[in-house]
Amino acid sequence: MTAILQIIFDALSLGSLYAIGALGIALIFGVMRLVNFAHGDYISFCVFAMLWPSIDAAAVVFAGNLPTFILIPLILAIGAGLSVLSEILVFRRFRNANPATMMIASFALGFVLKHFLLMLFSSRPKSIDLWSNLSLPVEVAGARIPLLQVITIVITILILLGLTAFLKRTRFGLEMRAAAENFTMARMLGVKANRVIMLAFAISGMLAAAIGLILATQSGTADIQMGVSVMLVAFIATVIGGLGSLPGAVIAGFLIGGVSVLMQVILPLDARPFRDAFVYGAVIACLIWRPQGLFAPKSAKQRV
Amino acid sequence: MTILSVDGITVRYGRLTALRQASLKVDEGETLFITGPNGAGKSTLLKAIAGVVPVAEGAITLDGKVISGGSPEDTARLGFSMVPEGRHVFGSLTIEENLMLGAGMRKDRARAGDDLAAVYEVFPMLKERRDKPAGVLSGGQQQMLVIGRALMTGPRLIAIDEPSLGLAPKVIDQVYETLLELRDKRGLTLVIVEQSSTRAMMTGGRMLLLRSGEIVLEGDARSLARGDTLKKAYFGYGEH
Amino acid sequence: MTVTQRSSLLVRTISTPIILIVILILIAVIAKLVGSGPFSRTVVEMFIRVMLVAGLYIFVGNSGVISFGHIGFMCIGAYAAAWFTIPPAMKAVTLQGLPDFLAQAQLPIFLSAALAGLLAAIFALVVGRIMMRLAGIAASIATFAMLAVINVVYSNWDSVTGGTGSIVGIPFYTGIWTALGGAILVVIIAYLYQISRSGLALRAGRDEATAAAASGIDIVRERLIAFVISAFTIGVAGALYGHFLGVVNPDAFYLGLTFITLSMLVVGGMNSLSGAVIGVIVISTIIQILRWLEKGIDLGGATLSIPNGLQEITIGLVMIIILMFRPAGLTRGREIVWRFGPWASKPSTAGEVAVSKNGA
Repeated sequence: MTAILQIIFDALSLGSLYAIGALGIALIFGVMRLVNFAHGDYISFCVFAMLWPSIDAAAVVFAGNLPTFILIPLILAIGAGLSVLSEILVFRRFRNANPATMMIASFALGFVLKHFLLMLFSSRPKSIDLWSNLSLPVEVAGARIPLLQVITIVITILILLGLTAFLKRTRFGLEMRAAAENFTMARMLGVKANRVIMLAFAISGMLAAAIGLILATQSGTADIQMGVSVMLVAFIATVIGGLGSLPGAVIAGFLIGGVSVLMQVILPLDARPFRDAFVYGAVIACLIWRPQGLFAPKSAKQRV
Repeated sequence: MTILSVDGITVRYGRLTALRQASLKVDEGETLFITGPNGAGKSTLLKAIAGVVPVAEGAITLDGKVISGGSPEDTARLGFSMVPEGRHVFGSLTIEENLMLGAGMRKDRARAGDDLAAVYEVFPMLKERRDKPAGVLSGGQQQMLVIGRALMTGPRLIAIDEPSLGLAPKVIDQVYETLLELRDKRGLTLVIVEQSSTRAMMTGGRMLLLRSGEIVLEGDARSLARGDTLKKAYFGYGEH
Repeated sequence: MTVTQRSSLLVRTISTPIILIVILILIAVIAKLVGSGPFSRTVVEMFIRVMLVAGLYIFVGNSGVISFGHIGFMCIGAYAAAWFTIPPAMKAVTLQGLPDFLAQAQLPIFLSAALAGLLAAIFALVVGRIMMRLAGIAASIATFAMLAVINVVYSNWDSVTGGTGSIVGIPFYTGIWTALGGAILVVIIAYLYQISRSGLALRAGRDEATAAAASGIDIVRERLIAFVISAFTIGVAGALYGHFLGVVNPDAFYLGLTFITLSMLVVGGMNSLSGAVIGVIVISTIIQILRWLEKGIDLGGATLSIPNGLQEITIGLVMIIILMFRPAGLTRGREIVWRFGPWASKPSTAGEVAVSKNGA
């Protein structure tokens, strides 16, 4: 029983990261059909922003030493700022380009960000001491669960609830949902394209920052690569969930997290190193089964 | 008084010219029908006015302000409300959300509530289902919704692309009845694109015929329909 | 399409591969004349990338489906070449899990390269039969998942692939001329595919999906053909790359190279073969110039150099700027054609040819 509880918490906390990542990618895709490959580098950027200006191996955290109530808004603001800035400087000029061109442009931007971080911090992972007392276990129904896992899941739920409320209850949210479904029609009703897109980028950037904070706390290190692996899985989750569907992206994120953890448990020992191959194989099977995604919105069929 | 004026606009899609040197004027409160065969450039004309497709040459002015080269949202904010072909309701949004979306740009948001009530009065069916997603509506109901939504923007001019496409004759009658009523009550200007000229004859108003990207005929709908000038111009015979 | 139509298409478009091949030969000759070691290596690497990008173009350019998976075929080809050509005595130590016939084998380089390509092609045929039913972004994700599966398998199947470590002992063979030959071969294959019935049909399907389907084109089948052919060329490129480096390891064939090759294709113009080749040449040249700058150039006693790491940042920015001004790539999706003298070709994109031929 406690073992099962442990697995559930593992799956939920891993799925949380994927879900938040998928949400960040799906938001942008919804309003401008851009698959933003720079998203992973936003995550890394936010992690390293906590180190700046220190570039030592055992990082003397500068921003990370700030009190929590300042640090968290600051990092979220950095994520949002970076994301919005990349829309103004780069993506705005690709609004009418084809998806492949936009995708490569976003990749190139991610490449620039990554090498900017490499130039400043070098490729060696750095240790980062952020709320280390959170890794202590707590007792949940007899199972010892790391407190951080519980917090990660709670934060994810809060983010999802907050975002849902924002989308359902506010004027901005209404405009964003409409824009995601039919951007041109929304504009013809007076919805301001730039405002909606910038808002989507800002939220997406904040979600990237949230992942950065969680990852840094979980692993205790800052590594240039840490954002990319989350981003790739998140990217897959948005497609499996049905491009353009925000709930689909979230569910698919949790699904992939769940399948990964489950494979780790049920695969025979010899096959465990190949776990990711099974996960990706399942992804292909899922796409063949439902090419439009599991939760494709009705309008997606004509568009994708 | 002229509310909309289109001066010699040309629209190209790649190497294809969809609209060539088209000019027209629309007076406040009138009804203008734009008709013509498939691919004549009718929808392109509306889209160019709405700012959805770029204009290669010429200028469009709405209420004295140049709108060509601007964005769709700016044009909408100046009082031009477009109902494109194919209806385009936001299927995942509720009916009321669809309507409220149209009210977003109004400066007098307090009046949005009154407008909503007015739209519901015209289309009681929408009120009954206000919390349902718009995707569940039938074709005719969706047409009502998009017209209602266009009204919510507080427009001075509504342009509708093929309002009768795919609707039963009875529903078409209803749609037109509503439109004309709105025109008379609110002083709305109507620009209606229809492939067939029958409606224009029944309703009356001014008519304009597009063929191969050019305006080939213009005049009073009823008198044009009487002779066979229209038919000739429509099919393009008697010229070569 | 009749024989006369085909031959007239050939005549009208043949100048494109000829011009591209002449450019490649010129580069090889210049590299030989310069004779510097590092420069030659850069040129060899560039030729291999021409193979990769032109091979990628066979599928991506003609079908319009972005593939993130083709570097997986390169991985398959490179490891196959390693299995076929590393001396048996070495394999007995490092790759103990190989089946007997592979453990004992030591094939000639070119036979090995052809077999490596074939292996990649067979793999593509098997997975392609399932995956080619997908279109658009779903197909792209599926190809990415395929790449990830290949990477995981080759990284962990220690007894056959040496795991994440490098396999050493692959005979050094690939020099400028071999690499040039490989690049020319792939350009020719890509060109022949482009004007083949299948290639024309696939392009028609890319530009006018509904019309193509209505005229009886089996898009899934044509896509599969393109997928298999491009897998073959990229498998061969992988083999030559193995013989160039002498070592292979799975992470060399993963996301980094995937994105670089895709970027080259898109920057050059993904809808034309010329775009594929030009993209490689332009990006490789910029990278080389930046490398020189990084090392420092001598300006009358004063050394001018740019800080380390600026090279990558600059290349990323250059790519963004090129795409801003040329969203359809440097060639705008058109082919380079000879426009002078009696052999002048009419400038046209291959896509247009495909559509008009299809309608005829």
